[in-house]
Amino acid sequence: MRSLVSIPRLLLLAALGLAPLGILDAAEYEASGFGEIAVPSPERPARAEQCVEPVEVMRRDHMKLLDHQRDETVINGERDSKYSLVGCMNCHNPASESGEVVRYEDPQHFCAECHAYASVKIDCFECHADRGLEQLQQGKLDTGFPAWSGNGAGLSSATLGHRLEVGQ
Amino acid sequence: MTNLAERDLTQPSRRGFLKGAAAAAATLVAPGIFLYRTGQAATSLSSEARWGLLIDTNVLSEADVDACVSACQREHGWRAEPGSKTDAQWIRKVKLTDQETGHQKFLPMMCLHCESPPCVDVCPTGASFKRADGIVLVNKHICIGCRYCMMACPYKARSFIHETLKDQLPVAPRGKGTVESCTLCVHRVDRDGANAVPACAEAVNRGERKAIVFGDLNDPQSEISQRLQELGGKRLRADMGLNPGVRYQGL
Repeated sequence: MRSLVSIPRLLLLAALGLAPLGILDAAEYEASGFGEIAVPSPERPARAEQCVEPVEVMRRDHMKLLDHQRDETVINGERDSKYSLVGCMNCHNPASESGEVVRYEDPQHFCAECHAYASVKIDCFECHADRGLEQLQQGKLDTGFPAWSGNGAGLSSATLGHRLEVGQ
Repeated sequence: MTNLAERDLTQPSRRGFLKGAAAAAATLVAPGIFLYRTGQAATSLSSEARWGLLIDTNVLSEADVDACVSACQREHGWRAEPGSKTDAQWIRKVKLTDQETGHQKFLPMMCLHCESPPCVDVCPTGASFKRADGIVLVNKHICIGCRYCMMACPYKARSFIHETLKDQLPVAPRGKGTVESCTLCVHRVDRDGANAVPACAEAVNRGERKAIVFGDLNDPQSEISQRLQELGGKRLRADMGLNPGVRYQGL
């Protein structure tokens, strides 16, 4: 019985606690900093002049392209597409100022910047590599394995072509 | 009571709203033409080939089998996670001992890529599937981690990922809550076709000595078919009629 009685009491306390939030006037709102959240503008990679599609298309439809491509790859074995996630990470892989690899949980990560703003959770990197091939070859893996051998095993010709372009 | 005629004048009619909605859908679809383009470019996998492995246990030593396992681990970036009671099982070493003579044999066991895979039969989401070329895979995008396939597989070829992983390799995305198994190095097969060499075969084949042969079981001229024709190859638990694509010699 005691717990049943305490529930309305708790609700009342909660309501009293939240009440001040509802009475912010304009000046207080400005001061609170809520109005100063900047729209993210993720850094464009210096490596390539142009993404695989125009920026407007990528912004709006990158998830559709990736979603389509993942089925093509898993089911039909098509690994040469320009829409591969490995391809994305080869360009969009900013290193932090200290030279460490930026992980997808880090708000500096190319994907995380907008996804944090839009509050859309990314599931890709719970399984997929969140960095480019060159970074994988630099020996910064947490898995206990040596740096990825990077002998090109299993990489598509599109990916290998990219590596040739960047001089590897 | 509302006057019906009056309401029609002041509010948009239901019919009008539906018309408008249909028009909006059409205009929204139109800019997405590129999706149609990628749909057309999609390749469908040929079912002419059926990929398989022939494993010669007469040639393989214990060290060779260990080399297979570690080559697979390096290739795909899996290992026994620290503190995990359930290891990843893409490939494992099996020791056979003849109780009478004490003779021991070692063989690598992995997904045998059955022609009629039980794991595919039981999968509730279609995540466990067989590619047109006979490679049995888990589509981890739709795997819900129910592990029915692990129960169904008579070869215990599959394992479940319990831990949050980091630093997966681009060729082998793996993640918590999904089932995984040998992929027959599908990324190499997609690149090299009949000339592909899976990582385990690469680790133990030296020149003329070929302990593990990869090839097309449907092509009578392929090396694997020629060897099978000449020396035969055992299907493990052939009584179950699953017709595995991985065959063993010397058992």
